[in-house]
Formats: sequence, structure tokens, C-alpha cells
Amino acid sequence: MSSTPTQPDLVHLTIDGVAVEVPKGTLIVEAAKTVKQEIPVYCYHPKLGPAGLCRVCLVEVEGMPKLQIGCNTPVSDGMVVHTQNAKVDTGRSMILELLLVNHPLDCPICDKGGECDLQDYAMAYGRGSSDVADAKTSKPKGVDLGPTIVLDEERCVVCQRCVRFDDIIAQENQLVLKDRGARDIIATATGEPYRHNFTGNVTEICPVGALTSKTYRFKSRPWDLQRTQTSCTQCAVGCQQMVDVRSGTPLRTMSVESDDAISDGWLCDRGRYNIGFYASPERITQPLYRKDGEFHQIGWDDAFSLWAKAIKSSIAANGAASVGAIGGGRLTNEEAFFLQYLFRALGVENLDWRAGTQRQAGPGASGGTYAELERADAIVIAGESPAERAPVMDLRIRKAVARNGATLIRIAPAEGTPNVACIDVATVAQAIEAMPSGAKRVALVWDGVDLQLGAELAKAASGWAGLRTYVTGEQANARGAETMGMLPREGAMDTLAMFAAAREGRLDVLSLFGVNPVLHASDAAPTRAALERIPFLVVSDLFMTETAAMATLVLPAKGAFEKGGTTTNLTGDVLPVNQSLQAPESALSDFEMLIGLAQHFDEVALPTSEELDERVIGLCAKPPVADGFGAGRYASAAPSRPAPRPSDGLAVVVHSAVFAGGGTSAHDERIASLRPLPHASLGAQDAALYGLQSGDRIDLECDGVLLRDMVVAVRPGMRPGIVALTGGLPGRAANSLSAGARARVVNVRKAAAPVGV
Amino acid sequence: MRKNLYNVGAILKGLSITFAFMFKKKPTIEYPSVKKQHAPRFHGLHELRRYADGKERCIGCELCSSACPANAITVIGAENTPEDRTSPGERHAARYEIDELRCIFCGMCEEACPTDAIVLTPRFEMADYRRGSFIYAKDRLLVPPGAGLGPAPDERPNGIPSDLGRVAEVKSTMDIAQGYSATNRGETLKTQRKGLAP
Ligand code: SF4
Ligand code: SF4
Ligand code: SF4
Ligand code: SF4
Ligand code: FES
Repeated sequence: MSSTPTQPDLVHLTIDGVAVEVPKGTLIVEAAKTVKQEIPVYCYHPKLGPAGLCRVCLVEVEGMPKLQIGCNTPVSDGMVVHTQNAKVDTGRSMILELLLVNHPLDCPICDKGGECDLQDYAMAYGRGSSDVADAKTSKPKGVDLGPTIVLDEERCVVCQRCVRFDDIIAQENQLVLKDRGARDIIATATGEPYRHNFTGNVTEICPVGALTSKTYRFKSRPWDLQRTQTSCTQCAVGCQQMVDVRSGTPLRTMSVESDDAISDGWLCDRGRYNIGFYASPERITQPLYRKDGEFHQIGWDDAFSLWAKAIKSSIAANGAASVGAIGGGRLTNEEAFFLQYLFRALGVENLDWRAGTQRQAGPGASGGTYAELERADAIVIAGESPAERAPVMDLRIRKAVARNGATLIRIAPAEGTPNVACIDVATVAQAIEAMPSGAKRVALVWDGVDLQLGAELAKAASGWAGLRTYVTGEQANARGAETMGMLPREGAMDTLAMFAAAREGRLDVLSLFGVNPVLHASDAAPTRAALERIPFLVVSDLFMTETAAMATLVLPAKGAFEKGGTTTNLTGDVLPVNQSLQAPESALSDFEMLIGLAQHFDEVALPTSEELDERVIGLCAKPPVADGFGAGRYASAAPSRPAPRPSDGLAVVVHSAVFAGGGTSAHDERIASLRPLPHASLGAQDAALYGLQSGDRIDLECDGVLLRDMVVAVRPGMRPGIVALTGGLPGRAANSLSAGARARVVNVRKAAAPVGV
Repeated sequence: MRKNLYNVGAILKGLSITFAFMFKKKPTIEYPSVKKQHAPRFHGLHELRRYADGKERCIGCELCSSACPANAITVIGAENTPEDRTSPGERHAARYEIDELRCIFCGMCEEACPTDAIVLTPRFEMADYRRGSFIYAKDRLLVPPGAGLGPAPDERPNGIPSDLGRVAEVKSTMDIAQGYSATNRGETLKTQRKGLAP
């Protein structure tokens, strides 16, 4: 054993007789991993750091009279550590005996049983019996902690991982340890339900079965589950996740702890819990064709020939400009590529992936990674905050601000104050002023909606050092669809232009793939008017969405768990989508549908699957187009609609919410309580002006449309003069308002007492 | 000639054994009018037991199905609600099925069960015309409500059977090292610690 370090910051020590060289400051638990020794831990977690609460990680360090805790003892030069010997074993077995004094014998009915650290370590180090003769204490079981989590107080080993997760990682500070000694329990500080966008993670870091998911409760045992790793496609962050399936039903998803590059080992609650829709009885099961105003079930062969015939006759009669296709953001890269390939081969150039409010997905030449975001000195957020659009990315921002000391600047925020310190400014010019002078690494996060704002940002950003840009979109594979060519080329129509043409009767056949513009476009009325005038509207989706209900031909599609391919996340990583589920018999993937359609066009030469993969890989590997935010090619050629006359009242901002959207999350009753209320959020100033408090119900009158029964949410930190409405709530079309609408508060119904929001 | 005589001798020798049996006690019985008494620990068709108060013993833990070497058991758990308390504690089996044609009547399920819910009885007769009808669900496995055995464990609100550990201890005759371990991590650690594995 050498005791002279070769490098100043490397430390030499011996663990179980093996010489080890680790950086200075490394903890013994981590150092032991280098010699593949697992030291048992409960309270320690690599992402949460040491807490020194459970004492199960005891190790012997030569020269120290007592056993030391491996999780909070940094290595020092010349240290000799024993992780496995009789003394250590005795220590650990005594700790386990104490941990088990009040622990119930629940293993057979415990959701953690089979993957429980307490079981595993009790088996490895426990005595198997106890000297304590007294009865175990009894505490409440099955406590409803919030809409997602059940707590079993008896099983808690008080490691406080959950409390520390809430404090350090999520920065939500909701969970606390109440009472002391044998009576201590986990609870929320306020007594309110435990609710935010990351609650499910505590079920994974809880080393025992104290915190479990409601959706998974008693559904299965871990050894029944078939596990597949895939990429989450519910937003553009692209977190890696494990899908656990039992007999054809997805029961839970788990994060991938080693996924440091993207998710940092966490998942948001949407990615975790919105999986019940795959088994929903409301899924479309058969192609539907509208005849005399009614849908009739037809076979796939008929569906393909009707679709092909419509395209052929429309091209023959009115040229290829009378045909269009929209989609890609919900498809895989391969599907998006093939979509534009097939339609361009038919001469159709009216192709676009944009069906909502987002206009741009590419971040330009300075697109950054999540690791760079975490290391930024200053983060500027413009447009909608990533908190609801790209939740796990927001965790990085929280980490950068709260733990790495980055400055957070929000431009004209329409959300309340976040849990981390921030500077709110009204304009881009003020953001430039607010930028700390020494900032060397600036991260710019934009929602990709307002191109004018994008262009302003691009101009401002040219003066910022070490710029990294991010576009948090609304669809998971928006960037992939853009890369695959689902943007109109020069002279072709984009979505808005197609809708304008449709309203004038110039569009005959429009095929929509996994998009629901009626719910997600910023202006529902003209969108509806456009779709109504299209003689042959094809919609491929899992459910009968607002848009599908208007279609001529509805095609049952496969969901992301039911097909394979790749997807591109917002930082440009190309990620695998792996099949973990069998789709309902009659559903086809969008790819299979396009192949079926292509069979009817003899003139189209189909690429082989190798050629296709090659071209997709080639496109993915190409560096992103260098033009930055708000570049001209994203602008629409469609005539902009006249803005409504400015009137009094509050300017309406429509924002997204993690569990809003009518596509999938509306089809699982188990997560119904997570769906956002139809909130009308106001800043504190406006709330005082109108005499409103959180929980009041109001009706809003905007341009003659009456939005009934909105729930007031007062959010300090929101800029004055605006009211923010949750978009994408089925049946609550906040997007039925025209862009730039103003709202007047009518019919206030006061709540008895202010309620939390 | 001598050779032929030798053959007659062999025949007579064989027949003498046959004749001798004509005067011994007959081992065959007149099944089905007469039925044989099985050994007390004979493994036959299963039954799913109840407590004396009628609550089901099964807690839907799936230990039987994971112990089963023939993969014959399917259990799907569900939560007891205050209105519908199927079993003591929090969990019961919403679905419990045994494919009696796959079963090899080894008794491992009975061995694994922590609440003595699944038990192999001496019943062995089964005959039907369809394979599907040998999948016994709760309707055929569960004993009638009046036929429960033993006092139900103390029912504290949402509690677990208080004798769970004791029952398991008494019943377990298996070396735990040969039992099923879902992750095997505990096992690996244990063998590592004993220096039995690298
Ligand atoms: S937490 Fe672990 S040890 Fe405790 S009852 Fe559950 S499985 Fe058993
Ligand atoms: S609930 Fe789980 S994570 Fe939280 S303190 Fe208890 S054992 Fe630890
Ligand atoms: S007796 Fe054996 S084979 Fe039959 S169900 Fe039980 S464990 Fe399976
Ligand atoms: S082992 Fe016993 S309690 Fe568990 S599922 Fe099987 S029969 Fe039910
Ligand atoms: S893991 Fe070291 S004290 Fe808990």
C-alpha cells in the first residue's frame, strides 16, 4: 500500500485488502463501489448525499475505536477500511434488529416485497430473530398522502430520503418528519395533500414499502413484471424509463438511475402515471368511415383504398396543392421521415408538424445539453416556463439555481413565483440589463411560440457569453419531425396556410397524424371552420378526439409503448423507443398505415427498411440548421387575422399543465384527480383589484364567448394585467378564444374561505 | 425330445406362480364403489380456506404462485375496502386460479402460503370434457363460508394478521436458501459475506 499520492487530489486507501485510488473527498460508500463492494445504505442516496440517520452502512476503519458510517466518512490517505468482517456484521445486524423492532411483518402484502432493501439486508445481515419481547407499535396504514401516494407509517424506517428529495431535488418543501422517536411520521407540512409534478419519485427512493403509488397498489409483485427500457414520449425532455408490464397491461414505469445525461434519474408524474390509457376501453378499435353523417366500421383494406382514391382524385382534379398532411411531433423519427417521404413522392408539399401554438423546435446552432443547463451561471426563461411543459428539465433549472447559484431571469412571466429565487423582468431589454455582468455561461430557454419574441431573444443573446439555447415544445418529437423534413419548403403551405386555404375551399384531402388542432391550436373557431370545409379529413389517433370527431376517416393508431423506433428530444439526442406492449389487434402504427396507403400508389418506389434507417440516421447526424430563434423560415405565409379591438379587461394567456390535454391523460380514471382544475390564474395585484381570492368561481367573458365556472388561483409573482387559463382541457376550450383576447370578469361566486391552489 | 420336456417344465413352473396367487388376498378394489384410503399426507386437489368467521385466509400475496414449479397458479391482488372486507388486513385475492392440469401436486404452494390459505386435500378425482374446465377459480376452490377454520387474526383497522410470522415459522420446513428470492441480492450479499462467492 503506497501512502504518497501521485496526484494532489487523489487519495490512496485500502478497502477489504484492495488498494484503491479515488478523488479526495470521496465517501467510503462510493469508494467501495470501485472494488465492487456493496455497503448497505438506507438514508444515503448518491443524488441526495449523506444524512447519517440509519447507521446501517457501518464499516471498520483501522485505527478508529468504533465502527464508522461509510456514507458520511470521507476517505483519507492511507486509510484501511473493512466493509465485511465479523465486527461489521455484528454492528449491522444490531442496527437491523433495531430497525425491525417496530417494523410490521407485511412482506407478503407489501408492494415493495421482492425489491425491498430492508428485506435484502435483513436477509444478508439480520439475525432472523429478536430479543425484543414487546408488541410492535401500531401506526396508521394506507394513509392517503395525496392524489398519487399512499403512506404506510409502520413500514417507514425514517431515512428521510423522501423529505430530502422534496427539499433538495424538487425544491417543493412539502414533506416533513412530524413528531419524534417511535411516533415519528412522514406528513406534509401544511396538512394539505402531497401534490406536485414529481411526487412519484419518492416511491422509488423510499428504501422500504412505506411510500407506494396508488396506481400500482396491490396490482402485482415485482417478479411478475416484464421490464423494457424505453424513452418517455410524453414531453420533449426524453427521459429514459423502464416500463413494467404484467400480462399485457403496463402497471408502472420507473426511472433509470444511470440516466444522468437526460433525466438525472427522475421522472415527472405524467411520464410515470399516465400509462393507463393504453388499456382504456375508449380506444378506437376499428377504422371508421363517415357516411351520411354517421361513422361506420370498415376494414383496413377499404380504409386504405378510400384514402388513396381521395388523394388520387384530388391531385388529378385540383393538383397536389389541394392535398396536405400534418403530424410528426407525436410520431417516431422513422414515421415522420416516411410521412414526408411518401407525400413528397406523390408531389404533395403541404407538410407541417405544427398543429398547436409552437412554431419552432430547432434551437439553432448553439443548442445545449442538460448538463450545460445545470452548469449555467444565468438562465433566461422567455415564454411559457418549462415547469409544466418540460418538467424534468425544470428540475435541472431548480438545481442550477438553488444548488449551483445560477441567476434565473424570467421575461414577462405568466406563472407564479417558482420555488427558487428569480428575477422577473417585463421585456427582453430589461433582461439584458438584469444579466449579471460576470455571467460566462448563459442558458436561454424559450417555448418556441412567439417568433417575434424569439427574434428579439436571438438579438439579445448575441451579446451573452457561452450561450446555450433550448426550445421546450409541446410535442415530444417536435425537433425530430423538423429534422426529418416535416416543415413546408419554400412555396408550400404550412398549417395556418392550409387552414386558411381550407376555409376558402381550396384543400380537398388533409391527413392528420396524432394531432388535435381543435384542442391545441390557439384559435379554435377558425380551426374548426377550416376542418369542417375539408371534404376528406383523415385522422389517425388512439382516441376519438375533438378533431377525430370531425373526420371522414378515423384510423386507430398504436401508442408509443406499442411500437419501436427512435425519437429526438429537445436537446437533439436521438433516443430509442422500444416496444413493451402488444397493441389492440386492429390498431396499426402510423408507419404501417402509411405503408398500407403507399401500396395503392404503384409509382412510388418504397425504400427498404435498411435504406430508411440509413436516411433517418443520416438526417439525425446532420448538425442543426444554424439559424436561431425566430428565424424567418418558421414564419407563416398565412394572412394574419386582424387582432381583436383592444378593450378593457385582462389579457388572456393560455398555458399548459402537466396533466392537461385531451389525448391520453383524459382516458384513465385512476389519474382523474391529477387533472388540473379550470383555473383562471391572476397576479396578487389584479386579485386585489377585483376582490378575488383563490377558490372563488368566476365566469369570464371574452369577445362574446362566456367561459363558465373558472376557479380563481391567485399566484403571487404573475405580472399584472393578465389572466392565465389552463389550455388543452377537454370541454373547457380556453383556446376557443382568438389570439390576443381580453377577458372581463363577470359573475363572481365567492368561496367560503381561500383554498390552496 | 429331451429339449421339449424341458420346455414343459418351464411352463409348469410359471403356472405354479399363477396358481399360488389364486389363494392370496386381492389387492384390487371395486373402484368407484369402493375407495382407497390415502396416506394422510396425500397431495390432491386444492382448496382455498377461510377463517371461522368466514373471511378468506388468502391475502393475495402470490407467494404460492411464485413457489409453484409448474407455473399453475395465477393470483391478482386487490385492496380490501371498509365496505367489502374480504380478508383480514389490507389485501385479498381478487382473482385466484389454479390450472389443475398443469399442477404436479407437489404441495409447494401450501408450503409457501403464509396464512395456510391454500391447502392440498385428499380429493383426487377430476374428469371433464374440456381442458378449460380444469382451471379452477375461486368459485370452485374456496370452501363454503360456513366451513372456515381457526380464529381470524385480530382485526385492527387496516391491520395485518398478527400471527402471520408465527404461522410462517411453524409451517416453514424449507431451507430459506432454496426458496424463491425475487432479486437474489440478499442471497448474493449473504454468500459474499460468508466468503462463499467472489
Ligand atoms: S418494507 Fe420491505 S421489509 Fe417491510 S414489509 Fe415491505 S417488503 Fe417487507
Ligand atoms: S417514507 Fe420511506 S423515504 Fe420517507 S423516511 Fe420513511 S422510509 Fe424513508
Ligand atoms: S401443488 Fe405444486 S404444482 Fe400444484 S399448484 Fe401447488 S405448487 Fe403448483
Ligand atoms: S400464498 Fe396463500 S395467501 Fe398468498 S396468494 Fe397464495 S394462497 Fe393466498
Ligand atoms: S446510509 Fe449511512 S447512516 Fe444511513
